Amino acid sequence: MAATAALGAVADAATKCPSGGCQLDPARTCLTGIYLSQAVVAILAVLAISSEYGSGMIRVTFTAMPRRTTVLAANAVTVTGLALAAGTVAVLGSVLAGRLILPGHGFTAAHGYPPLSLGDGPVLRAAAGSVLYLALIALLSLGVAAAVRDSAVAIGIILGLLYLIPIIATVVGAPGWHRHLGQIAPMTAGLAIQATTGLRSLPLSPWTGLGVLAAWAAAALLAGGLLLRLRDA
Amino acid sequence: MSEATIEVSGLRKRFGATLALDEMSFTVRPGQITGFVGPNGAGKSTTMRVILGLDAADAGAALIGGQPYRSLRHPLSHVGALLDAAALQPSGTARNHLLWLAHSQGLTARRVDEVIGQVGLESAARRKAGGYSLGMRQRLGIAAAMLGDPPVLMLDEPVNGMDPEGIVWMRGFLRSLAAQGRALLVSSHLMSELQDTADHLVVVAGQGHRRHQRR
Repeated sequence: MAATAALGAVADAATKCPSGGCQLDPARTCLTGIYLSQAVVAILAVLAISSEYGSGMIRVTFTAMPRRTTVLAANAVTVTGLALAAGTVAVLGSVLAGRLILPGHGFTAAHGYPPLSLGDGPVLRAAAGSVLYLALIALLSLGVAAAVRDSAVAIGIILGLLYLIPIIATVVGAPGWHRHLGQIAPMTAGLAIQATTGLRSLPLSPWTGLGVLAAWAAAALLAGGLLLRLRDA
Repeated sequence: MSEATIEVSGLRKRFGATLALDEMSFTVRPGQITGFVGPNGAGKSTTMRVILGLDAADAGAALIGGQPYRSLRHPLSHVGALLDAAALQPSGTARNHLLWLAHSQGLTARRVDEVIGQVGLESAARRKAGGYSLGMRQRLGIAAAMLGDPPVLMLDEPVNGMDPEGIVWMRGFLRSLAAQGRALLVSSHLMSELQDTADHLVVVAGQGHRRHQRR
């Protein structure tokens, strides 16, 4: 959480908006820390279930609770709750840091940037959406972990999904493909929720983007839940 | 304790090319210790996992007091099982491990302290279970199996890693549980380990075939 806000603060301090105006999105800048915290959330959510496979505890758990879907649901409630709580603190810290630092870097009313405020609709949507984003990342990670069981494999798949697709997208030349990858990649699509400026040039609208991530999470949980039920423990 | 039975009939289970269980059938009756003996890899643990609904059999049925395990609402009140004493959250205390299990079954912390006393772990219960010796883990596993005061107990190699004193204690404890009318299925890869304890032996001779033997 502290690292999220700190990375946001570093990003705030590193950006400058010159007097001629700029294309930067202050809300998105101060919420840069989410790029880091999502990895932490993903790893913790994976470990919630894969550590039980590692220690053999999963058999004790399934012996005590033979309804495996219930076990997965209980895990989902726990990781979502933790992600929402930690995410709220991290995002509030990031917005506060942005509010304090950004005006000193040219993000002033004179350049068309009022101070960041949660009372401002799009800023509130970016902040609350970032918290929801972290919760969805937790659910996606839990679903993948339930499906593949091994923590290293699960973390590899999730970090690949999150960071690799955008990297591939930058290498892909054709603008059409680039746009499509941006629409289906869980991170790029989901983080559209942070945009407060230049909404028209986004590949997806903010809430649709978060919906794409929600679809990823739902698919992962469904696959994980089915495999959990069908497979030997 | 009329529900104190395990009925296994015609279990068949294949892992890839190996036939782990082939027509495994036996019954575990109340008030008796049924020894489950056979070499490592003969399918004893697989049979126990199938009984607990952890593994699905390709054919056959396993019933606890007439019901399949997965249909039991608070299963630990029907069957107590010790499969793998090493299956613990190493950073947690033994007591917290038991508390978590108790809460999942609607049982109280008082019951947790009772079973800790029954297996003689009072002085170590608040230590991290990761630092336990195998013998202590076996005791903790027995405590977990006893939580729901179940009429049926199923223990996979329970004296493995125990010192002689622990083995004597375990034998006495198992006998007293059978004397209370419970049904016990206790596995071992050593016939001698169970000779003096079991009332009844189920012998598996490799690859899940079964030969019965009564004493």
